[in-house]
Amino acid sequence: MALRLSTSLLSQLSRVGRLQGRAVSTSAVRYVDDLTVKQVEPKDTKSILASEEVQHQKAISGYITIDTPVDITPISGVPEEHIKTRRVVIKLPSKNAMQWRLFFDERERWENPLMGWSSTADPLSNIQVDFSSQEDAIAFCDKNGWEWTVVDPPVKPPRVKNYGANFSWNKRTRRSTK
Amino acid sequence: MLRIGASRLLQHGGRHAAVVSAARTQSSAPDKIEVFIDDMPVMVPPGTTVLQAAAQAGVEIPRFCYHERLSVAGNCRMCLVEVEKSVKPVAACAMPVMKGWRIKTDSEMTRKAREGDQSMAFGSDRSRFLENKRAVEDKNIGPLVKTIMTRCIHCTRCVRFATEIAGVEDLGTTGRGTNMEIGTYVEKMLLSELSGNVIDLCPVGALTSKPYAFTARPWEIRRTDSVDVMDAVGSNIVVNHRTGEVLRILPQVNEDINEEWLSDKSRFAYDGLKRQRLVYPMVKDSDGELRPCEWEDALIVAAKALKAADGSVAAIAGGLADAEALVALKDLVFPDAGTGTDLRSSYLLNTKIVGVEEADMIVFVGANPRFEAPLFNTRVRKAWTYNELHAAMIGPDVNLTYDCEHLGDDASIIGKLLDGSHPFSQRLTAAKRPMIVVGTSLLARPDGDVLYAQLLQLSQKLRSSCEGGSEWRVFNILHRVASQVAALDLGYTPGVADIRNNPPKVLYLMGADEGAITREDLPKDTLVIYQGHHGDQGAEMADVVLPGAAYTEKTATYVNMEGRAQQTQAALVPPGMAREDWKIIRALSEIVDTRLPYDKLNDIRNRLAEVSPNLTRYGDVEEANYFAQATALAEMVSGKKGAAPIDVPQKKLEDFYMTNSITRASPTMAKCIAAVKKEAANKYIE
Repeated sequence: MALRLSTSLLSQLSRVGRLQGRAVSTSAVRYVDDLTVKQVEPKDTKSILASEEVQHQKAISGYITIDTPVDITPISGVPEEHIKTRRVVIKLPSKNAMQWRLFFDERERWENPLMGWSSTADPLSNIQVDFSSQEDAIAFCDKNGWEWTVVDPPVKPPRVKNYGANFSWNKRTRRSTK
Repeated sequence: MLRIGASRLLQHGGRHAAVVSAARTQSSAPDKIEVFIDDMPVMVPPGTTVLQAAAQAGVEIPRFCYHERLSVAGNCRMCLVEVEKSVKPVAACAMPVMKGWRIKTDSEMTRKAREGDQSMAFGSDRSRFLENKRAVEDKNIGPLVKTIMTRCIHCTRCVRFATEIAGVEDLGTTGRGTNMEIGTYVEKMLLSELSGNVIDLCPVGALTSKPYAFTARPWEIRRTDSVDVMDAVGSNIVVNHRTGEVLRILPQVNEDINEEWLSDKSRFAYDGLKRQRLVYPMVKDSDGELRPCEWEDALIVAAKALKAADGSVAAIAGGLADAEALVALKDLVFPDAGTGTDLRSSYLLNTKIVGVEEADMIVFVGANPRFEAPLFNTRVRKAWTYNELHAAMIGPDVNLTYDCEHLGDDASIIGKLLDGSHPFSQRLTAAKRPMIVVGTSLLARPDGDVLYAQLLQLSQKLRSSCEGGSEWRVFNILHRVASQVAALDLGYTPGVADIRNNPPKVLYLMGADEGAITREDLPKDTLVIYQGHHGDQGAEMADVVLPGAAYTEKTATYVNMEGRAQQTQAALVPPGMAREDWKIIRALSEIVDTRLPYDKLNDIRNRLAEVSPNLTRYGDVEEANYFAQATALAEMVSGKKGAAPIDVPQKKLEDFYMTNSITRASPTMAKCIAAVKKEAANKYIE
């Protein structure tokens, strides 16, 4: 719990810091003619951020950070059946895919006797979760308590293609007919 | 290439795969040349075609006739592109790039050229009765492939597949121009064990699947990646299913195993999964009839018999049994048995399937790879076509679809090759990378061990003298069933002679349907427990039937003939009261009072890894190299050689289709056999 708190706090603070930094570096145009009027002293961004850092350190001084995997299963409300018994395959769904996708194990499907529609009682059967990286997908599965397997995309060997091979006189690549 | 979540299995991950692929790349990279695709510079090796160079730059040039794994035809004209300073557009699929070429894939000239293709600008949108509407009669090319020939654009992919990969010159073209047609010249069946692949190849749907026609739409279908178990190749497949029913099976690309092809048995036998299924447990009643009952009743009967047998128990594993079920059965019935009955390199396809592409000589001994492992045969054919591989056969003179020197079917040839007195010996010794591929039917002969010992010695002799060195493995076994390698890894022994000589009180059949042991071999009081998914020979002789899951219904481990562990994924749930096989044995163990220590799939996989770690390194081949030891052992084997000629069980195409309980239950496979037999009676074809 402490870990989660500390990370969110850090992100909030850094966001604040960024905003202030932007406010400091305002437009270069001056609308004041009188240069004798005292201008706002430009502040050093670094010193502001440093003080933020100090404040942040002070804020989390009472906490300890635990470097353990996050597990949200006790509070996610997902029934145990869909945590402990589910297996996930993480892979790229197609040849040119950029996103890693989770494929859950199949549960029973049946034909609805009234309409002939395809039915299932599996809440995970229609969810589609994509991740930009394999590590994110693994982390998500770990967080949700699913057993996962990663399938790496296949490596394509280079292939030599040669139109002339169809007509070579002493090779078995010669084609007699079309 | 597959990693598993459990931390202990994690370490074995993809590292092996990286090593393997690194070893296969070329040692010295040739100088690359620079070309420009739409002003993007790309460095490519010389000889690369424009289309490949464009693909490297991320530009996909449209094509119909070009296919990566077939020869270049260059007849659809869809891939025409403009090359700067060239007057005419060039066919990207056939033209090798030159240094500094500037290729424009989307220029005015390119677009204009593409419209020349008949399928882009065919006919006018209103009728002026100027040209006739082209219509072509459909052809009947057998029970698997349906033709809608009006759709055909004459890309000749199917013709090239049949001649180049399947090795049957059944398909061809007649006529020219508008009158061109693809066909079989005379009405005949496409007689190939790989005919289903033309369905995947066809870019327009002129060739489609007959059994799948009008059954589903692709968007209704769920797809589950899995592994095929119809032979020991371990082809990767995608099971397409809907509402608890397999609708079709398609191949999945795996460069190391099946490339992108699939044999007809693997592709079309799925309708056997719906027939003859065992859906509830059964126990034989006092009239000797099997009656359906509850799981509890069946398990109690089985457990009582197992307890009463007091160790006099035997088990036979069938060809479709998975590694999880095999290890559970072994732990239940023979908890004290050791593991590994043999040196691993003595029963694997040691050169691996891709290794064939490096070989220059292959000798088959009592094996018919065309029907025992069709996709291994396509690899051999590929090497024969492109690498001038020389093939020879000791055994019956069968058609392997490529030139194969027939050395005869006399078993004494092996001995002559070993002592160098055979005329072929000289060429065999001169081979740089020879392979000897031994069929499993040879090993089942009464004098199998003698022949096996001789072949091991011959292989070791060739290995020490060949150019490939110690890294090159000569000796290979061509397995026929999917469960064999895993069973041997786990310590099962081949052959049932032991059971025949000392009949047990309880015989446990784990999907054993090939009739190795019949009721006549056993005394009357032997109780037979059959666990499996089909009502076939095994269930027929059983006293207790425990319904299991077929390969589409369980997440299970299979090891292919190379020793590569792969897993099937459950696409459906087992029908009726049937359950996953290892769970049945786990439940039975509870009643026998020897509770097996695994409750989850990962638990039993840890047990598999304990027995033989390669069983859970999914996707990787675990190599073995104990030839010196095996040869030393082989030298001790002595016995008499039989006079029987070397034979194989599957010689003709009709022998290919039905080899296990699923295919025997499949109506499509039955139709294939009928069609092939009818074709053989046709006097107008060879």
